[in-house]
Amino acid sequence: MMNNVSMLFSGFAVLFTFQNILATIFGAVLGLLVGAMPGIGSLAGVALLLPLTFKFNPTTAIIMLGALYYANMYGGAFSSILIGIPGDGPAVMTMLDGFPMATKKNRPGQALLTSNLSSFIGGIIGMIILTFMGPLLAEFGLKFGPAEMTALLLVAMTSIGWLVGENPTKGILLTAFGILLASMGMDTLSGMPRYDFGSIYLLGGVPFVPFVIGVVGFSQVIRLMGERHEETKLVVEKLSIKNSMITLHDLKRLLPPAIRSGVMGTFVGVLPGAGATTAAFMGYAVQKSFKSEEPLGTGAIEGIAACEAANNAAAAGAFAPLLALGIPGSGTGAVLLGGLMMWGLNPGPLLFTSSPEFAWGLIASLFLANLITLMISWGVIPFLVKILSVPTRLMIPIITVVCIVGSYSTSNSMYGVLIMFISGVLGFILSETGYNTAPAVLSFVLAPLLESNMRKAFIISRGSLSIFVEKPISLVFIIILVITILFPLIRLALVKFGVMKKK
Amino acid sequence: METSTKKKKITVMQVIPLCGIILGAAFIYLGISKYGFWDEFKGPLPGFFPTLIAILMLSASALALFSSRKEETVSWTLDNWILPLSVIGIFLATWVIGLLLSLAIFVLVWLRKFEKCSWKTTLTVFAVVAVIVVGAFVLWLGVPFPKGIILTMLAN
Repeated sequence: MMNNVSMLFSGFAVLFTFQNILATIFGAVLGLLVGAMPGIGSLAGVALLLPLTFKFNPTTAIIMLGALYYANMYGGAFSSILIGIPGDGPAVMTMLDGFPMATKKNRPGQALLTSNLSSFIGGIIGMIILTFMGPLLAEFGLKFGPAEMTALLLVAMTSIGWLVGENPTKGILLTAFGILLASMGMDTLSGMPRYDFGSIYLLGGVPFVPFVIGVVGFSQVIRLMGERHEETKLVVEKLSIKNSMITLHDLKRLLPPAIRSGVMGTFVGVLPGAGATTAAFMGYAVQKSFKSEEPLGTGAIEGIAACEAANNAAAAGAFAPLLALGIPGSGTGAVLLGGLMMWGLNPGPLLFTSSPEFAWGLIASLFLANLITLMISWGVIPFLVKILSVPTRLMIPIITVVCIVGSYSTSNSMYGVLIMFISGVLGFILSETGYNTAPAVLSFVLAPLLESNMRKAFIISRGSLSIFVEKPISLVFIIILVITILFPLIRLALVKFGVMKKK
Repeated sequence: METSTKKKKITVMQVIPLCGIILGAAFIYLGISKYGFWDEFKGPLPGFFPTLIAILMLSASALALFSSRKEETVSWTLDNWILPLSVIGIFLATWVIGLLLSLAIFVLVWLRKFEKCSWKTTLTVFAVVAVIVVGAFVLWLGVPFPKGIILTMLAN
């Protein structure tokens, strides 16, 4: 335990360089801005800013992205509270009490500060648990061979593809699509070119950055075209730091739900497919069974604290399987993982021993990002009215240009722009027709790892499937996999026979 | 009794799983015939994994096609396609006048002609875009953007 603390301090030593601190501040500011603007979200934000990190060394680059992802969780609540439109998925629950507190109770500044403080508390709890759980998980991961890794990767992919979204079949279809796209180019084991369809460009495979910018960034801008005439109606005209201060009584109301949700949210964040949105929903649901001074949904401080602490803790908790096992829990995690791989780092059980400066530097940077984001989000309160008033129609050409130059810069060729364009249009059509594109991004990133482990497992077992059930760890994962697959089917049957209500 | 002879139109809800079926079939065919599935001594070959996944995709697409009959189709307005069409325009213009100039024209035309913004708003947004592109991508990252035929000819 003490070793973890000393490693964390060594992480702070790595972190405290001028460049890394600047990267953390830059990531935090951008994350807050991207999160505050409704409709962009952390996934698109991280994807769009990925090319900007090319100039940095891997540690600085991922520190910036980590701060950006983290600050995004803070920013998502701003529009929920001041406009009544959630900036991202996790902020949906914040709106239930945040918006009434700003409008009916006429305490918009206090609602923002409650949200910021709860996010900070939840985040700190998540990071403390991550500090101890990450290395433990990595130690456990050292026992994994190809069979265990295959089973674990199948669980991660299935849980996101099968459980996220309304239609499991569509989730599986896109998971398979992402894997097939990733298998184009060179075969990872033999080096043999495959599925290049005679194109010299496809010999190198589908480039990750343009693909992800298209699927989550450009598709989002096309979608925004339909909303560009909608006017932003802010609940206040002016905000100041002085008028946003909360009382000691407010703080006493905020602390218990924030601490409770912080612990719970961290463990939800560790589960693949669950993520910050589920954590926020669960935090709010749990708060319902505890006493609140005012009823939830009427602008209760406890309601804001419960979901904001939970979603920030989940964002921190999600780093544990990402760093220790190389398994992202969400689409944004997949983009971060893709970024890590791009810089030659291989997250997994060996990361904590082979690149401790990186792993601990990143964890330390989350602590710093949490503190910096709290200060910035506090300081930015007077400017929020202006930031949130930027019309969508002005954002469209700016994001489009960033999508184009960002995807060009990865390969210095228009091929990158072409990939971004095709995946963007495809991503838009798919999301409009009820297909969630996050499983495609996740499977695209994890496919090479899954393929190499699966093939190695089959080489060891000489083609026998028994290798996956003979080893206890992989057997457990296979059982989880079967339960995951059966869960929507059982739910469907229960709804059909009237035992359960339809979602 | 009147029998309905009205043909059901194929919508985008059916087109997507149909594309999935075609893509899955193509990957299975290439995987088995061209790249190889299994070797007795070497074990799984390069076509092994994509073929398995393609079978999964083909099955999921068939299921999605079957359930798509009950789904309502979606319709899009021209507004949604103006942006992709503009990007195609930028793509074509890049060969002639280069990427940066194409993007500059796109931003100005988009804001002035399409969004009917004032010159003040247009120039403010243009300045923001210029700072991002020139500041971050040209000066900081040093990205060599294509100059296009005309600028290359002038430079030579």
